[in-house]
Amino acid sequence: MDTSEVLLLARAQFGLNIAFHILFPTLTIGLAWILVYFRLRAARTGDAAWLAIYSLWTKVFAITFVMGVVTGITMSFQFGTNWPGYMQKVGNIAGPLLAFEVLFAFFLEATFLGVMLYGMNRVPAWMHIAATLLVAIGTTLSAFWILALNSWMQTPAGHILDGGKIIAGDWWQVIFNPSFPYRLTHMLLASGLTASFAVAGLSAWRLLHAGEDASARKTLRTGLVLAAVLAPLQIFVGDLHGLNTLEHQPAKIAAIEAIWKTGQGVPLVLFAVPDDEKRRNDFSIEIPRGASLVLRHDADAELKGIDAFAPDVAPVAPVFFAFRVMVGMGVLMLVAAWAGVWATRKAALPRRWMLWAFSGLTFAGWIATLAGWLVTEIGRQPWLVTGILKTADAAGAASGAQLGASLTGYVITYTVMLIAYFVVLTHLAGKGAPA
Amino acid sequence: MSLDLPLVFAALMGLAILLYVVLDGYDLGVGMLMPAADAGEQELMVASIGPFWDANETWLVLGVGLLLVAFPAAHGIVLGALYLPVAAMLIGLMLRGVGFEFRVKAEGWQRELWNWLFWFGSFLASFAQGLMLGRYITGFHSGFGYIVFAMLVGASLCGGYVLLGATWLIFKTEGALQKKALAWARWGLIWIALGVALVSLATPLVSHTVQAKWFDFPRTLALMLLPLATVAAGWRVWAATGRLKRGEREFDWMPLAATVAIFTLAFVGLAYSLFPYVVIDRMTIREAAAHPSALKFMLVGVAIVFPFLIAYTTFAYRVFRGKARAGLYE
Repeated sequence: MDTSEVLLLARAQFGLNIAFHILFPTLTIGLAWILVYFRLRAARTGDAAWLAIYSLWTKVFAITFVMGVVTGITMSFQFGTNWPGYMQKVGNIAGPLLAFEVLFAFFLEATFLGVMLYGMNRVPAWMHIAATLLVAIGTTLSAFWILALNSWMQTPAGHILDGGKIIAGDWWQVIFNPSFPYRLTHMLLASGLTASFAVAGLSAWRLLHAGEDASARKTLRTGLVLAAVLAPLQIFVGDLHGLNTLEHQPAKIAAIEAIWKTGQGVPLVLFAVPDDEKRRNDFSIEIPRGASLVLRHDADAELKGIDAFAPDVAPVAPVFFAFRVMVGMGVLMLVAAWAGVWATRKAALPRRWMLWAFSGLTFAGWIATLAGWLVTEIGRQPWLVTGILKTADAAGAASGAQLGASLTGYVITYTVMLIAYFVVLTHLAGKGAPA
Repeated sequence: MSLDLPLVFAALMGLAILLYVVLDGYDLGVGMLMPAADAGEQELMVASIGPFWDANETWLVLGVGLLLVAFPAAHGIVLGALYLPVAAMLIGLMLRGVGFEFRVKAEGWQRELWNWLFWFGSFLASFAQGLMLGRYITGFHSGFGYIVFAMLVGASLCGGYVLLGATWLIFKTEGALQKKALAWARWGLIWIALGVALVSLATPLVSHTVQAKWFDFPRTLALMLLPLATVAAGWRVWAATGRLKRGEREFDWMPLAATVAIFTLAFVGLAYSLFPYVVIDRMTIREAAAHPSALKFMLVGVAIVFPFLIAYTTFAYRVFRGKARAGLYE
């Protein structure tokens, strides 16, 4: 099997794994903080209903968390097996950051999750609240370290070249590299939105089956209010993140906006079918000078196009479409959350079609997150570490046959796991919290 | 700073792997013993490992993480050579993890299905780990004999984990289930004896370096303390399970403690055989080590985290001390 096929298999396997993995931490990071809120409500009001809500959602948390853990263990192996060139070249940066995720975050989460799930009757209430809080802090810390690494790969800083290898010159600059603050905030907000829509959606599902469930009405409201606050924040932060990308990864912006030629007064492409072969847009709908205005706040400003970066450019079409899916989902979530807050004011029960709509949006956050992840990861191609290491130079080790066999195994296992996850989730949501 | 960083990280990695083997070993063992118990006992078994298994598995991530980040050159060779058993282990760990969490929320035949997957995943992961050990200590040589050997080590590691699981249950349960666990422990002991003997014989046969290290009088006499202590620990397990079975005075934690001693001694012996190699006869820890700048930075992190890690792990085991009760989760 030739190397390009091995590269394709290595990428397919890692991409599948990480795309599957990212779903679950995205949900658990946000959900962990919502659990802290539920637990505090239960403690302050002494209301058994809040405690029942807490215990229902800890179950959702537990099954989501375990999915994240087992797929995450897989990734810790694949970093080395699928991308040996990566560890060889930048292992002295990536290694410590990954190790810190394990040390600072994983043990904290895993240990206190045990106390949180099984310790309610074994430890004093304050200690149980503290355990819930520590799990939330742990999940957030893991996002901190993994996004520090991911951001460094996108916008490397603070490193020096030492005999063909990259080593850290200034760890502070490595961690707090230019895109890190934006990416971390964007991801944490994405996580909060994902969790709030999951809470609202599953509560709506319960209400469709048992309209008088007071607990589900409470959690529907919690999810919607949180989403209504986070959605506009996310749009604001997303815009800042975009401007940051324009500064540090202009090639990615060119792909996102499907700008083929460098020029002044560049139009904003609302919709088009980018043709990567012919390097042009078909069927495009444009706002004249729009892109210059949006990105540079000046209708006549110059923007670099794909031509300025060729041949090191990402495939435009997937980045372009994924970006539009992400933004579209973001706007949809904003509208849905605000409509939902209005519909549930003064403890009103929304109409059935609306509950159906919320149920349908249960995993809206997942779609937006995956789309955003595709934008950022495909958008930096052909680089694995911008300007330092190309993806093609990082693959190796495993043979095509090994990759093929294990990929088949993973696909089957993931399919089974995902189906099971949905079955159990639907079952839990359908049963509701015993009030 | 004249700290020997590769040595420090080799020790840390060794510690993480040993802790992983002992800690996840007992919950993998409990998983493998599931089919031997009735439905009520299964609930107790699951409850006994529920609060711990997740953190136990994290030691694997730390162990392999340290291999990856402290000895990147070795990571490529080792995991490249073990690609398929690693994939099998990962799939096993996924199935058992998901099986464990999902079984509680399911009823009827679905719970049976998750029980089965929990058992199968535990078995697959354990067997794959033994296979990896067998391949690793024979320097990844190809050939029919080496594969058979690796499979035997795989089977014995399953036995070893069953012993850990059974002695954990002796410690954490009482009554009929404890009685059953006493019998399981003895079966596990026979298997682990086979495994330890196999590995002890094979390593010097495969590697002259290992042979020279062990058969070098008069050092050999001092080294013989290691196998003697291992046999003594094995005897302690046998005797303690016997006394507990007959209802004579014995600590319920004694079989577990002696089993942990067996694993620790075997591990020390193996570490002595390999040192200073991380890939037997091919690559030393110094050759494989990452850049000092990376190692130093990590060491700072380790120094900050380790005291907390030990403290809250101890805390968790204290919170869940005593005999396991079913239905903790519901």
